[in-house]
Amino acid sequence: MSIYQSAVRKPVMTSLIFIGVVILGLFSLNKLPVDLLPNIETNTIMVITTYDGASASDIETNITRPLENSLNTVSNLKNIKSVSRENRSLITLEFNYGDNIEELTNDVRDKLDMVKSFLPEGAKDPIIFKFSTEMIPVIMIAANAEKSLPALYKILDDNVANPLARINGVGSVSISGAPKREIQVYIDPMRLEAYHLTIEAIGQYIRMENINTPAGNMDIGNETYALRVQGEFKNSAELNKIVVGSAGGKTVYLSDVAVVKDNLEERTQRTFTNGKPGATIVVQKQSGANTVNIANAVLKALPGIQKTLPADVKLNVIVDTSESIKQTISGLTETVLYAFLFVVLVVLFFLGRWRATVIIILTIPISLITAFIYLYGTGGTLNIISLSALSVAIGMVVDDAIVVLENVTTHIERGSRPASAAVHGTNEVALSVVASTLTLIAVFFPLTLITGAAGVMFQQLGWMVTIIMTVSMICALTLTPMLSAQLLRLNPKRSKTFTAIYSPIEHFLGSLDNFYARVVNWAIRHRGLVVILTTIFFILSILPAKFIGTEYIPAQDNGRIAATIELPVGTRMEITQRIAEQLKELWNKKYPEIDMINFSVGQAASSNVWGSLQTNGSNIISMNFRFLPLSQRSRSMFAISDSISNDLKNFPEISKSKVIAGGGMSMMGGQSSLDVEVYGYDFNQTDKVAKALAKDIGAIKGLTNVSLSRTDYTPEYQVDFDREKLAQNGLNIATASTYLRNRINGLTASLFREEGEEYTIRVVYGPEYRQSIQAIEDIMIYNNQGQGVRLKDLGKVVERFTPPTIERKNRQRLVTVSSTVSGTTIDKAVAGINAAIDKIDMPQNLYVKIGGTYIDQQDSFKDLLSLLLIIIMLVFIVMASQFESLSSPFIIMFTVPFAFSGVILSLAITGSTLNMMSFVGMIMLIGIVVKNGIVLVDYINLNRERGMGIIRATVSGGKSRLRPVLMTTLTTILGMLPLALSNSEGSELWKSMAITVIGGLAVSTLLTLIIVPTIYTIFKGNGVRKQHKKLRRADALKLLEANNAK
Amino acid sequence: MKSIFIAYDQAYHEQILSILNFNHVRGFTAWPEVQGKGSKTGEPHLGDHAWPSLNASLITIVDDVKVKPILAQLRDLDETSKLMGLRAFVWNIEDGI
Repeated sequence: MSIYQSAVRKPVMTSLIFIGVVILGLFSLNKLPVDLLPNIETNTIMVITTYDGASASDIETNITRPLENSLNTVSNLKNIKSVSRENRSLITLEFNYGDNIEELTNDVRDKLDMVKSFLPEGAKDPIIFKFSTEMIPVIMIAANAEKSLPALYKILDDNVANPLARINGVGSVSISGAPKREIQVYIDPMRLEAYHLTIEAIGQYIRMENINTPAGNMDIGNETYALRVQGEFKNSAELNKIVVGSAGGKTVYLSDVAVVKDNLEERTQRTFTNGKPGATIVVQKQSGANTVNIANAVLKALPGIQKTLPADVKLNVIVDTSESIKQTISGLTETVLYAFLFVVLVVLFFLGRWRATVIIILTIPISLITAFIYLYGTGGTLNIISLSALSVAIGMVVDDAIVVLENVTTHIERGSRPASAAVHGTNEVALSVVASTLTLIAVFFPLTLITGAAGVMFQQLGWMVTIIMTVSMICALTLTPMLSAQLLRLNPKRSKTFTAIYSPIEHFLGSLDNFYARVVNWAIRHRGLVVILTTIFFILSILPAKFIGTEYIPAQDNGRIAATIELPVGTRMEITQRIAEQLKELWNKKYPEIDMINFSVGQAASSNVWGSLQTNGSNIISMNFRFLPLSQRSRSMFAISDSISNDLKNFPEISKSKVIAGGGMSMMGGQSSLDVEVYGYDFNQTDKVAKALAKDIGAIKGLTNVSLSRTDYTPEYQVDFDREKLAQNGLNIATASTYLRNRINGLTASLFREEGEEYTIRVVYGPEYRQSIQAIEDIMIYNNQGQGVRLKDLGKVVERFTPPTIERKNRQRLVTVSSTVSGTTIDKAVAGINAAIDKIDMPQNLYVKIGGTYIDQQDSFKDLLSLLLIIIMLVFIVMASQFESLSSPFIIMFTVPFAFSGVILSLAITGSTLNMMSFVGMIMLIGIVVKNGIVLVDYINLNRERGMGIIRATVSGGKSRLRPVLMTTLTTILGMLPLALSNSEGSELWKSMAITVIGGLAVSTLLTLIIVPTIYTIFKGNGVRKQHKKLRRADALKLLEANNAK
Repeated sequence: MKSIFIAYDQAYHEQILSILNFNHVRGFTAWPEVQGKGSKTGEPHLGDHAWPSLNASLITIVDDVKVKPILAQLRDLDETSKLMGLRAFVWNIEDGI
């Protein structure tokens, strides 16, 4: 018994199985997390090491290099990049997508443990983070306070950061703009010298005084008592009373040589939100964690956290990345629902029968919902790709059901009872339904085989559509016949109103059929002209291709802009802050669209992970803008961002600025860059080459925004010790430099404990004694004999310039010259760059490499192009086996080029770009347009087999298949229309795909309807003509032989 | 004893069985899928790409008196939907076991 027979015989079982599947699907849907895109992040692990007071090159030699050497042996490593800057070393380990991040983290931890002991003493332990610099924060919370401001750090750290960090998937919670408490012992060097004391000695005294010692147990009588000395300071004022020596018979107290301050850390970052000072709490996620889930968990936790805070501390969410994801997804969900509605209307329009429409429409939710089970099972998410797959499939899943239902209806109209009509009607078309589904699977299944980052996106699309199409086929072969048997009636009665509405439609469709028959009749009688005209059309339509730009993934207007503004190096924080406030005032007035401005100035503290990843310094302002939702503003984020860039040019004091629309949401979006990487150890050499290259590259047509990755050199003072003089005084570099460091950067003497918290006690020169070179030169250095020598007698203080950051890739120093490609092709640009490289006199130990996102993009486009060819071949194979002929699939393939001309025209007219999403659209097109051709050619073949002549077979075949072709085309086009027209947040991402499909399908369907019958008659007509010729020749030969015989 | 051979569109099968049942005919031999083509009118039932529908056929041996009512009922059935196709032929049965 065939599957449809048992389905029709057992309606209860059939319907309950489908209901069960739907329930499972809805259950999965309920559990599915939401995300913007499938998980496409490459796996990155970051190792951050802080070494306070060290310059970039110190960091490079002492921290970055030993760590790199050891980490380089981690397995599966793809790239190791590092940035060494003042105080901090950031090493980024890049792994291939799909590697197990937990395992790799353990591996990294092991390697770090091995190398830890080789790091300098003052360096803190390396910290491992399971995320990359590119990763945007999930949520930023502003904390404003009045009275509690001095204690804000502790309050936020205890009550906000700790609970938030415990949320699953949170990578780090950083607090910026809230300085930490610190006990500072500001030393007066004059007095110190007068009493023959050193900072080291004072540190020692403080350490000795601030101590608790258990002295053991003693038995007194019947009891045992513990004996202890409680020496730790109870409050910071006690420090003043410490005895640090004696002079002239009098005791010297710490307060005699120093001022003790219970204060906040000196160099810190200040943050302002809408002009009010406060702190910003930044929540970042781990690699691969779900943004929306984390954001939801954080938002859920916040009201509870607010209750634990003092009354004047107010928490405000300033950036919530999940918001735009949620809006994007809900916008897309809406369009999917519209698509559903349109498909229902189209089916009703063409069929004109309620029951038939209901039977067909039921296959949509069932096949779509099944896809949710797949998503849930594979740990997928509801994202742009999976939802696009749904909207793509909506138009296609009804096709199989329509074919089955039409044939069943024909049987019923012939007089068969619905039950047997359903079985036999389905039996007749089952094979062709399976074949046409196979054509689509031939298109979508190869997508699941792509690897790499693009693969993650295409795999999901491929699997989704393959599964949906398979389920829709099963539906069409079981549920549709079963429902037809139950619901369809012979000549159902139509209500008067329905007839009144539908009869004009029926009339219109009838005259459309006749019109088309006339057109086809004309076309196949003027075959040559039609072929010439369509060829000319094709060539003309290809021409606009050069006006279409390419990008990887379209940029999205998410209402956020991030700006980094740099003042001349060395500008004091107070000045920087004033300028930031000015800018804020200006922009708040100029752009009413601004919802919120948040900015930070100054150097980030070492414990602030987020801050330390950004470029920071006393001269740098980092600003975050949030704009009103897209519907409430007329200007796009990109226009405003350009305008902000222009405003910045009017400030002469600003040396450099970078405005990023989208708030640094660098998810492969944005413009594509072409990078030239100059590798080499010597700064001067690489700088010279890079600068020369930048100049030449800037002159190449089509390459703009040329910039160097190495930032401006910062001035710094270096002390050049004279080794001989050091030796004469019984000193060495290590001792002398430690003296220097302890006086300027300070010496952490001990920890002050209060209420379970620890605060550092820092012994350092008072701020007024470390503001001039003179002060440095006057530093007194004591040797082992206790003799003091001034620093100026041991060496010189010189001013030098050093790069503030040292970048390395795969253990080599490099400078990147990056440029944006616009208005030229990649091969021309690369040729130009190669010529520029050849022109330069390259020092021997330098080498140059070309890279950048543009290259990656070109590579993946190339991959997709070859995939496109493979898919075309697969489709041909499926069709050829179905028709058991080579000419029929060849005729059908003529629809494909016109699909591409439609794509080019629609992209050019709408000004869209060719990107990954439009590529997805193009790949889908092949399957859809070919299906139209199959329907036509199959029926013309059928007519021929039933004994019609070529021309009659073509005209009547075309006439009877016009409605199904228009119906499947319209369901797909109208299914996509909401996507193309939607203006909701994130629509930029799928718009180009929808435009591609609509344009390609519309043009190719219109031309398919004419060109396929024409080419069919040319091919098959030739075949017939050849046969006739052969027969005629045989006849003539016979006649000749007969004549000869006579 | 006469035999009735009926060739008909597959979809008629159940109706034909019920006609036999109605006339108290118990025995029959049926072929569920056969090809066929009418001599004058009607669509061919060949089960191929051009003519996908198929016939079924059935032969039953009945008492002479039953032939007339059965044929009458079959004719009525054929009249209801001429497009599907139903034909019946009667032979004499010489002998049997």
